[in-house]
Parts: sequence; C-alpha cells; structure tokens
Amino acid sequence: MSNYLDLSIQEINNLLKKKEITPVDLVEECFRRIESNEDLNAFITLNKEQALEEAKALADVEVDNLLFGLPIAVKDNIVTKDLRTTCASKMLENFVPIYDATVVEKIKAKHMIIVGKANMDEFAMGSTSQTSYFGSPRNPWNKNCIAGGSSGGSAAIVAARLTPFALGSDTGGSIRQPASYCGLVGMKPTYGRVSRYGLVAFASSLDQIGPMTRNVYENALLLNAISGHDDKDLTSSYNQVEDYTRLIGKEIKGMKIAVPNYFMSDIVDSEIQDKVREVIECLKQNGATVDYIDIDYVENAVTLYQIIAMGEASSNLARFDGVRFGYSAPDAQNVEELYLKTRETGFGDEVKRRIMVGSYLLSGENAVTYYNKALSIRDDMRKSFRKAFQTYDLIIGPTTTTVAYSLGQDLDDPMKSFMDDVLVIPVNMAGLPGMNIPIGMNQDHMPIGLHIIGNQFEEAKMYQLASFLEKELNLDLDRKERS
Amino acid sequence: MEKLSKEEVLHVARLARISISDENTLEKYQYQLKELLDNIDKIKEVKGYDEELMFSPVDHQASLQEDVPGEMLSFQEVKKNTPHMKGNFVEVPVMINE
Repeated sequence: MSNYLDLSIQEINNLLKKKEITPVDLVEECFRRIESNEDLNAFITLNKEQALEEAKALADVEVDNLLFGLPIAVKDNIVTKDLRTTCASKMLENFVPIYDATVVEKIKAKHMIIVGKANMDEFAMGSTSQTSYFGSPRNPWNKNCIAGGSSGGSAAIVAARLTPFALGSDTGGSIRQPASYCGLVGMKPTYGRVSRYGLVAFASSLDQIGPMTRNVYENALLLNAISGHDDKDLTSSYNQVEDYTRLIGKEIKGMKIAVPNYFMSDIVDSEIQDKVREVIECLKQNGATVDYIDIDYVENAVTLYQIIAMGEASSNLARFDGVRFGYSAPDAQNVEELYLKTRETGFGDEVKRRIMVGSYLLSGENAVTYYNKALSIRDDMRKSFRKAFQTYDLIIGPTTTTVAYSLGQDLDDPMKSFMDDVLVIPVNMAGLPGMNIPIGMNQDHMPIGLHIIGNQFEEAKMYQLASFLEKELNLDLDRKERS
Repeated sequence: MEKLSKEEVLHVARLARISISDENTLEKYQYQLKELLDNIDKIKEVKGYDEELMFSPVDHQASLQEDVPGEMLSFQEVKKNTPHMKGNFVEVPVMINE
C-alpha cells in the first residue's frame, strides 16, 4: 500500500514532476485513509467523485507549484460551489452553495483538490465541536476526547494525516485551540489578511480563515496561497503579501520575546506551564531574550468576547428565516410563526443561547451599556498590545489551559466553551495574528501547544520562531493508523 | 442557584425571534442565560483608558467595489436553495390577516 502522503510536500512534488505518481494516486490514497478512519467523524460531506475527476483532469497539466495535486479539507462554514455546506447545522443541512469562497478559488487556482467538508461546532460556536448537528469529531490521540473547536474536524483530519492540509476559521481561537488539542500547526492570520468572502459570518469583526497543517513550512506555504486583497471583502487589507516562508530556518538570536503574566497564572495546568517554561529556557539558551510583562485587560477578554461575538452573531444569524434558503418549519400559520418555529427547530442549543443573549445586548439602552463599553475596552486592549510590540518581536504563552478533555464533559455549562478559549481570544480582539505549534505531550500523551502572537502582518516572524522550535524539539506527531 | 424568570427568558427569545415550546428547555435557559448575563455584567466594573471605540480591527480604508454592473446569477441558481417556490415566486405564509 502506497503512503505518498507521508512524504514531505517537496518529495511529493518531485514525484509528480517526474510523473512517477499522479494526483489520482494521492486522492485515492487520501480516501483510503478517510475510509479507514470513519470513526473520527471528522468530515460532514465527502467529495470523492468530483475529487477523482479533478485529479484525472490534472494529468496533462504542468506541475507548477508545491501545492499542486494535493488533497485538502475545507471547514464546513466556507462555501464551496455545488458542494454541500452545512455549518454543521440542521438549518443548512441541504444547502448547496452557488459560488466559491475566495479562499476556495485560490486553492483551486493552485490545483489543490478538495476532498471534503470538515466537521465543526454549529456555526463555529463552541470550543469542542460537540455542538455539531452531525455528531462530534474525535481526537486522533485519544478517541474518547474532544478534538477541540470550532475547527475540530479540520484538526482531527490533519492530526490523523487523512490530508496534509485543512482550512479552518478562527473567531475566538477556533483554529489555534483545536490545533493545540490535536498536536498540529494552526495559524490565525492578521484580521484582513485572508478574504472572508464566502465564510459564513459568525462575528464579522473577529472571523478569519487560516491554514491548519502538519508542519510549519507547509502552513506558511498555504498561507501564501490564500492571502491577499479581495475587492469582495470590505475589510480585506491592501497590505502587500510577502513570502511567509522567507524567515523559516533563520536563527532567533537577538529576538525579543514577551510572556504575559496572566498566560502563566494558575488558570493554566502546571504540566502545561512546565512545558512552556522549558521552551522559554531553550529560547534563552539560543540567544533570545524573554521577559514577563502585563497586557492590560486580557483578563477581561472572555467578557468582551461574549458581548461582541454574541452581539454580532445575533445580527448575522438573523438571515436564517426559513424563507430564502435553509430549513423552513412546516405548517406555519403566518410569517412571524415561520421565523419563530424555523429558528427554534433549525438552530441547536448553543447557537440559540448566543443569539438570544446577543439580541438582548444590542436592544435599546443595552447597546450603550454593554456593546459600546466592550468596544471601548477592546480598543484599550489593542493599545496595550501595540505598546508591547514597540519593545518585543513576539509574544508567547500556552495556547490552552488544559489538554483535550473527555467527550461529554460539562456539556450543560454555558461558560465552559468560552473559558476553554481564554488565552486565545485576546488575539481576535486586537486583530493580531496568532498561531499554535505543538511543543510536547503531557503524561497521558496528549499534545500541548505553544501560542505565538505577532504584531499585525508579521506572520513571517512568527513562522521563524515556530520553525526554530519545531526543529529544536523534533517531536514525533504522526498519529496515522495505516490499513 | 439564581435564575431568570420565565418571562425574562421569553422576552429575550422574542427579541431573537426564537420560540421556546418546551418547558424543560425554558427552565434550562433560565439558569444558563442568567449565568452568561452575570458574567457579561462584569464589564460595568472595568475601567478603560479612554472612551475611544474600536469598531473594526482594520486601520485601512474600507475596500469598496466599483459601482459597475457585474455578471448576474441565473434564476435557476438563485432559487436553488429556496425551500418554497410557487412558479417564479418565493412562497411565504400570510403576512397580513386583515
């Protein structure tokens, strides 16, 4: 049985160029892996027939880039033309988009092949992917544990090496936290770096699409492919795209790194703190300086997030009315009843809770008391980050306070899904880039992640540090089970 | 454990255009929404640097498209995901009962 997908992408690319293998070989191997790992429940929809057709059509196309012919999974809140996109919700169970998201156009332009749509929390609301209408994905390191969320399916897919690449989205940690729980590299780029056109909106001022991969280099390469200005996204940045691989492998001597005290406080498991301290020692030994600092308002980030994300969500999800697309409740006697019943039945509990609270927060005087106050503190937090970046190149800390925990734990606790993301939410608040890289295992052999935060548009510097640690730590992160 | 009254939950649900027809769900929300709103209330105690508001993390000017007609979607595409069609029209229940 061939295992080409275990090779580095440079090796795969050489084999493709020499025509020793074809994209069909890669896609067939990918589906063999997917089919022998169905228990992970990592996909909502597979795209086998179309993927094989696309792979066949590449036979006579010149291999012109490193991503050529490689399989990729796309989170199911990113629209794909003629391929069902559900947002893991009953509301969109039968929704088939009529256009491609900009990121999808971009990966197709590189001749990557979409093999399926990845499971996730319903409308990306959650931290465990257990709010999915299609059941929870499982963590390949321990199938009784959560894969994290909301991009839990994308994380499980890459961790189990079903595909080398996945796209996720991150509103309050939804790429970085599951990447940490599953032991992979996940990047939430600077807000505005990657077009949000075609990403089903949750909280528009926080949402960002990003790459999830098995290693740092491949992550930077996928970011190269999906970045850039897009006229179709009002918030898309004009900032020029650089080659995000350009600093990979460069030494880190002289780099100035900060660790916020709050990120190493007693909210974090001691085993995780210890692992991060080992990394800090390693960085110091290699010529970096590491200081502990305070970032103002990070301890208020969850509250800020709840107000801003739920407020924006309540407005964004008002479009689901049972009229134009999506689920529509039968037998409604009037249009008001149609809205009420469609939304009661079409949305799951977590989504309904968030829409209800969001609607309340934006109603009447509450908009000033809560929403405007949150926007003001959000601005202050950004200022505090900016001040830190006047002195430091990067900020680091743990990505999560615990490792992945058991499926089913604390399902009825409405605060749990927010507290899981306490360390990653500040990054979305300030619009900064943040990434997770694996730095080791706990005593139960579950992955521990390091969170690297950069200044706006300084993703290349983050990859520099990440690649240094990846090489230095040299972890065996392959969770494949081969048939 | 503190909870919201049933009327308060139903008011919030009404704002969100979500009906709650199940008594157990209503009771669950009485506790869960209370817990969320209590945490959110903490924002009142936070003292900021200034009154400046951050509406968006981007500093650049909004990217606007040229106002020129582009390609149109076909009618077939537009109605593809519409749950109820009657001929060429989207069908909805009665809106005015007069």
